[in-house]
Amino acid sequence: MIKHLAAAALLLTTACLAIGPAAAADPGITDTEILIGDVEPLTGPPALLGVAASIGHKIAIAEANAAGGINGRKIKYVLEDDGYVTARTIQGVKKVIDVDKVFAMIGISGSGQSIAVMPVLEKSGIPTVIDVAPVKFLWEPPRKNVFVVGQSYEEGIIHLVNFLADKNPGKKWGLITQDDDYGITVRDGFDSVVKAKKLNVVYSGNYKKGQQDFSSDMLQLKDSGTEVFLAGGIIAENIAMMKELEKLSIKPVTGIFWPGRIEPVLKLMGPAGDGIYAVDYVEPFAGAAGKAFLEKAKPLVSEAELKGINRYTMTGYAAAKVLISAIERCGKQPTWACTIAELEKTKNVETGVMAPISFGPGVRFSNQKLQIMQADTATLSFKPVD
Amino acid sequence: MRTGDYKQSYGELVALIDSPPVWLWSAVLLLALIAAPHLLNSYALSFLMIILITVTGALGLNILTGYTGLISLGHVGFLVTGAYAYAVLVSKYHMPPLVGFLGAGVVPALASLIVGAPSLRLKGLYLAITTLAFSFIINTVILEMRWLTNGARGIQVQRPEILSISFDGDAAFTYLCLGIAGLTLFATLNIRRSRVGRAFVAIRDNDTAARVMGINLHAYKLFAFVTSAFITGIAGALYGIYLSFVSVEGFPFLLSIEALAILIVGGLGSALGAVLGTVLIVLLPEATRLVFSLFSAQMDATFTTGAQELKSMLYGLVIILFLRFQPRGLVGAWHDIKRTWVHWPLRY
Repeated sequence: MIKHLAAAALLLTTACLAIGPAAAADPGITDTEILIGDVEPLTGPPALLGVAASIGHKIAIAEANAAGGINGRKIKYVLEDDGYVTARTIQGVKKVIDVDKVFAMIGISGSGQSIAVMPVLEKSGIPTVIDVAPVKFLWEPPRKNVFVVGQSYEEGIIHLVNFLADKNPGKKWGLITQDDDYGITVRDGFDSVVKAKKLNVVYSGNYKKGQQDFSSDMLQLKDSGTEVFLAGGIIAENIAMMKELEKLSIKPVTGIFWPGRIEPVLKLMGPAGDGIYAVDYVEPFAGAAGKAFLEKAKPLVSEAELKGINRYTMTGYAAAKVLISAIERCGKQPTWACTIAELEKTKNVETGVMAPISFGPGVRFSNQKLQIMQADTATLSFKPVD
Repeated sequence: MRTGDYKQSYGELVALIDSPPVWLWSAVLLLALIAAPHLLNSYALSFLMIILITVTGALGLNILTGYTGLISLGHVGFLVTGAYAYAVLVSKYHMPPLVGFLGAGVVPALASLIVGAPSLRLKGLYLAITTLAFSFIINTVILEMRWLTNGARGIQVQRPEILSISFDGDAAFTYLCLGIAGLTLFATLNIRRSRVGRAFVAIRDNDTAARVMGINLHAYKLFAFVTSAFITGIAGALYGIYLSFVSVEGFPFLLSIEALAILIVGGLGSALGAVLGTVLIVLLPEATRLVFSLFSAQMDATFTTGAQELKSMLYGLVIILFLRFQPRGLVGAWHDIKRTWVHWPLRY
């Protein structure tokens, strides 16, 4: 009798220990659903970035749900608009964590915004995968619960300038950057190559964020005799610069950076954009991987969403895949602790849209492999060249 | 029988709180605000923090625009200057947070002398444009002074510890914001009923008449600028701490417009109006979302994924409606309600 009672007590204790964490489970998880939250700029000019990234998250979630969800639980996606305003990013993140009670976070707006919400994310301890704006502050020093998929802006610029320098030895270089954090990063990356490769820089300009007219800047660029040009704008600025160069009838070898490497930019640049080089860590849509991704996306998103797809959709998709696979590996009772541990164990996860993704103990940055691609205005696409 | 609230002496007229019910309601509100951080979740608490920080800034602008009648479109310039002054002193040079707050007030106050002096002969639209230009100049100066401000990279700001009290938690930081907002409200109410405040109002109502009465227009206008900038700078420091990251991008020009909207909706020239206007403008989108979400989940989703466009529309609509139907703002509406309550069923 005593043995039976002892066995029953042991069984009860074991059951409590096993069920205990589930009963006091982390938020955002029920028997049928797992909530994943995101805050993006869905309105205003940066919406081009935020909407595309959120479509990537939706594609990965729809794909997982179509395959039965995460160990039988359907994934529900909670999306909040911050309009690219930092104070509202903080409120948005607090809302999805405290009110919607999501299980994990993904995406998180722009670089300044994600830096500002870092204390909130760290304090909450919620598993988070950031994919939109890979800036060093997000992974240096590594935070326990925050993982970043992508490549640093500095590395991207170094890769692009090295490629262009090797391809165009002894040429005169020109550079123009924006007067913000992004511009400083581009300039820092460029400067590090200038020293190493002893580049002959004949023009170095800086423009004010929001500037539309680049006529005088490009005139100075022409007068300087620039043969290789690094256009450090984002989207509209690069278009304006290329159009201005077209008016001046000069066509230096031009490199742009990945925030502006989206197909609508080529359409707006017209023939002026033909042949420009870009660097990126996601596959171009013109390649086999890009085409396969679009085919995969078609049945999973609406017609309007399909039109909003760009490179940020791929980064969003890859990050969501990594998060989903980590939660999945936690089995029937996923917790924050387990998800974070599994994210840390992420090793060569294939997403099909970029090189395999890995993290590790104390490594919260996936450090993606870069590739150079060239614009083809006839097909409005970027094609890999290295 | 006498009805209504009559003032029979000058002392009664300028009393800070003029009747027992107001004392009572003020005490109830204060108790509610003290209890709130322990009752609200982190999301709701973020609204309370934003309201308290915005109230501080709006009260600062109210001294210049509401009391003195000097329109400023560049107050975000003082806000960002205050935030940077705090961030540089505390995060970069490791000064105590109290020194940081002092700097956050003094630096914008000094900057206001630079913009205030040439603005002394300007009024209305001309002054508005001058202050607008100031806010752009300030941003450029911050971006160029990289050695001090880190340029566009911005500066990280930690929650402060003052006199061994840590304000790291949301509840503790809310109390800090509450304390500063309360002090600011108390100070601006006292300024309004003082000789200086009456001079401000005289300048606003008719500066020629004010000069004839012996008011030194230059001195009082500059004083209004300095006081307003000092308070706005403190609000900027709080906002920077709330954001945990100070950069020019975190302080868009739109904040100046929002501050003016708060004063218009609340009631120009009234400290109570600045408080009511802030509460309405900050909570309006969230309150609207909550109301619409009761009717349909689709509407709720629209409010979360198109929030900023809908918020802008709501702000615009509310400002238009107030200007058309209640130009004296919420304070005017409150006075009308009180009068109707006292005199009902009579009209007057």
